[in-house]
Amino acid sequence: MLALTFETFRQLTVDGFFRGCSYGLLGVGFALILGVTGRFHFAYGFTYTLAAYLAFTFTFRGPTFPFWPSAVGAVLLAALAGAAIERGVYRPLAKNAGATALLAVFVASLGIGIAGENLIRLLWGSETQAYFGPQKKAISWWGVTFINFDWWQAVTAITITLAFAAMLRFTALGRRIKATRVNPDLAKTIGIDADRTYVIVFFLGTICAAVASFFYAIKYTVDPAMGTLPITYAFVVAFLGGTARSPIRVFLMGIVVALIEQYASIWLSVQYTQTAVFVVLVGYLTFLAIKSSAFMAKFNKGGRATPLVPSQAAEV
Amino acid sequence: MSLWVNYLDQILLYASLALSLNLLLGYAGQVSVAHAAFGAIGGYAMAYTTLTHGWNFLGGTLLGMVLAFVIGTLVALPALKLSVEFLILLTLAVSSVIIGLLVAIPDFGGTYGLIGLPSANLFGWHLRSPYDWLLPAFLAMAIVYALCHRVGESPVGRVLKGIREDPQATEALGKNVFAYKVTIFGMTSALAAFAGAMLAAWLRLATPGVFGFAFSLTVFAIVIFGGMANLNGTILGAAIVVLLEPVLRRVVRMEAAKASLVQLIVYGIALAILMRVRPQGALPEGFSLWRWLRGERAPKMRVEMAADWEPETVKNVGVHHDEELPVAEEDRRDRVWHEAPVILQTHGVSKRFGGIVAANELDIELRRGTITALVGPNGAGKTTVFNLLTGAIPPDSGSVMLNGEELVGLNPDNVARKGMVRSFQDVRLFNRLSCLQNVMMAVQGQPGENFGTLAFRHGKVKAAESDTREKAMGWLRFVGMAEFANIPAGALSYGQTKLLSLARVLATEADVLLLDEPASGIDTKWVDTMLELIEQVRDRGRTVCLVEHNLHVVGRLADHTYFMELGQITAQGTIAELTNDRRLAEVYFGTT
Repeated sequence: MLALTFETFRQLTVDGFFRGCSYGLLGVGFALILGVTGRFHFAYGFTYTLAAYLAFTFTFRGPTFPFWPSAVGAVLLAALAGAAIERGVYRPLAKNAGATALLAVFVASLGIGIAGENLIRLLWGSETQAYFGPQKKAISWWGVTFINFDWWQAVTAITITLAFAAMLRFTALGRRIKATRVNPDLAKTIGIDADRTYVIVFFLGTICAAVASFFYAIKYTVDPAMGTLPITYAFVVAFLGGTARSPIRVFLMGIVVALIEQYASIWLSVQYTQTAVFVVLVGYLTFLAIKSSAFMAKFNKGGRATPLVPSQAAEV
Repeated sequence: MSLWVNYLDQILLYASLALSLNLLLGYAGQVSVAHAAFGAIGGYAMAYTTLTHGWNFLGGTLLGMVLAFVIGTLVALPALKLSVEFLILLTLAVSSVIIGLLVAIPDFGGTYGLIGLPSANLFGWHLRSPYDWLLPAFLAMAIVYALCHRVGESPVGRVLKGIREDPQATEALGKNVFAYKVTIFGMTSALAAFAGAMLAAWLRLATPGVFGFAFSLTVFAIVIFGGMANLNGTILGAAIVVLLEPVLRRVVRMEAAKASLVQLIVYGIALAILMRVRPQGALPEGFSLWRWLRGERAPKMRVEMAADWEPETVKNVGVHHDEELPVAEEDRRDRVWHEAPVILQTHGVSKRFGGIVAANELDIELRRGTITALVGPNGAGKTTVFNLLTGAIPPDSGSVMLNGEELVGLNPDNVARKGMVRSFQDVRLFNRLSCLQNVMMAVQGQPGENFGTLAFRHGKVKAAESDTREKAMGWLRFVGMAEFANIPAGALSYGQTKLLSLARVLATEADVLLLDEPASGIDTKWVDTMLELIEQVRDRGRTVCLVEHNLHVVGRLADHTYFMELGQITAQGTIAELTNDRRLAEVYFGTT
């Protein structure tokens, strides 16, 4: 028998929502990067970790700065690091590699991810460190409890997502980004500097990772391997949401993934819940593959779609 | 000293795992980051059966290989249609599921894993010291190497490389891409399990940490460092990655904790730099130290070879350069076409994409030993006709009969084996393979393309391979490109790629050839050569259908012409009849 009360269910849902805000934000940033530039940016996890360590260092090490300015500074610096990786590593690499750019960039970003994590270990030490921010406060609301950080994170994440969506829809920069996403070469012919757009997209995408990282750090701790799991969630959420889709849709997919994880814990012991998300993902990919495969077309006339290409940019 | 022997063992075992990944990644081009997880299946199966059931480690290894084969095959099924990004994601997810389950199942020791294994017992010989392991580890690597080499450097390996370069073109040459992908996934997964079990037996433990994602990346890095599709490179890569840490510690005298961090930083940065300066890895594909030492360098294409090269003029063809065909010749061709037996016939073939009608009730006949042309404005659906005929796009309705046999419902590879092969407008050569290999791929019925024959009938495969080479050389000579046999196709000029693409189609020896713009975009002086070749092909009794814009080409070659507009055939006849039609002249021919 399942001893599932309404209260438990409600608490799980609220927990899932807050966790989903973090997944969603990670997904929004990663989808923007992959969708527009076609770079399989594995080092996203490194920029995530870097943001938390920078914020931590500005507040607690050497000449200390106040808490919030440190946080903002760290987020911006990490975003610059993301942009620098695109400018300094991926761009020359992709120009050189031509048709095999996707694999070359993926391998290089793996390299940066591995080197970056261990550089952090070398500079800051391998141990987990506590991050003391503002006072942590529990909030009880209609019978569910959460903490003030959850609340701040949700507001920030939703604001960023909506701001990105509005930016893409209403501003000149957004139109440039969308034009580059659809066809970088064509964008160039109408005077859009695709290279510069890529750098901007890396900057914006990394902001998402950095903000998510900061909130994780103040709620829990900082450690050099903290970027490993978020990168996986960023992949999953971005792909499920669609890399060429609206940030709002990707963000909502983040919440869906977190809810699946939460509800899975009702039936499964806690060790299995993470696995459950990946099982869902494998199932989804299998479904996509079958949908586009030849033998399905036989049963479902005209059902054979074009081969799966998640983002236009990746074709170039 | 025994410490260095230990490192040597480690190199051999890491290399075993990386070799199997190279077959998958380097040869078949399938980017998998789940390889260590398949190693974990082998390692855990061996450790679990040894600890709880007292099995010999070889028994557990075998069990692990079977399990990994089954799981690997299942993973390959969705992987069939996925693009690279999705494949990376899928293997990442599979890796997470496998490691996640191993951690979650209490019998497997949770995060601590299975530790304290007894020393491995190899037919009564207890492998305790690093010295004891030297021979078994070497044998393990040799077995994996031999298998990967046998598969990779064979007709099967050629097909795998074709899938890596262009799966659609490989399928169009009659190869069952689906079956190859599934088999190679299953096979390399089983080999990974074998290597993983050996590694666990050597370490005397199997933990999630040993086989975690970091290890997957290490194995991936070994393959990249060493060079994709070069097995010797992988052994070199394993040596570099494994030895980096002790060299830092002992030679540079770094403390242990720091050395292991610096090792990872160095190889991470090295990966990024390598992709920039030498993406093909330390030993590139096709490089052999042995041949290099003997002074046999890979043939380099001299720049002037491509630029100055002109196609040979083809002999034995009656020259008729008159623009306007004599009326008598027109009539003769028309008569020939009507007398020739029908080899391919379509009835009411239709296809819609959403609201767009790409093909509407097409009735087309191709007749033996004749050339039929398909003309019409851009977007009329001419290339779609080829896609519908070859099964690349299944029609919504209608039938396609080749020699009285229904083709609708067959996959493109099946259609090709039935005797109808197409070329592509955008050529689609296998760029990193030599011209000869490109043509050899097209030869049908090669026994060496079957895994079973490859394993058990060495002599037969060898004889067939030299036979295939002869045939392919013959076709290269036919199009006048024999001197380019060992040049990679990617180095050719555009006109040459068109000739090579024709040789590739011809080498299939299919009855019906569908040529998509064979003479477009090439120099005028080349067009004659191309046309003479196509005429020769027709005179050998083959049936040709071509899509072409150039009316001179159509006028000279076509015995019969179909005119297409918006997915429909609106007129047919000889080219003279079509050009004399006032309406068509205005729509398309641009003359009034």
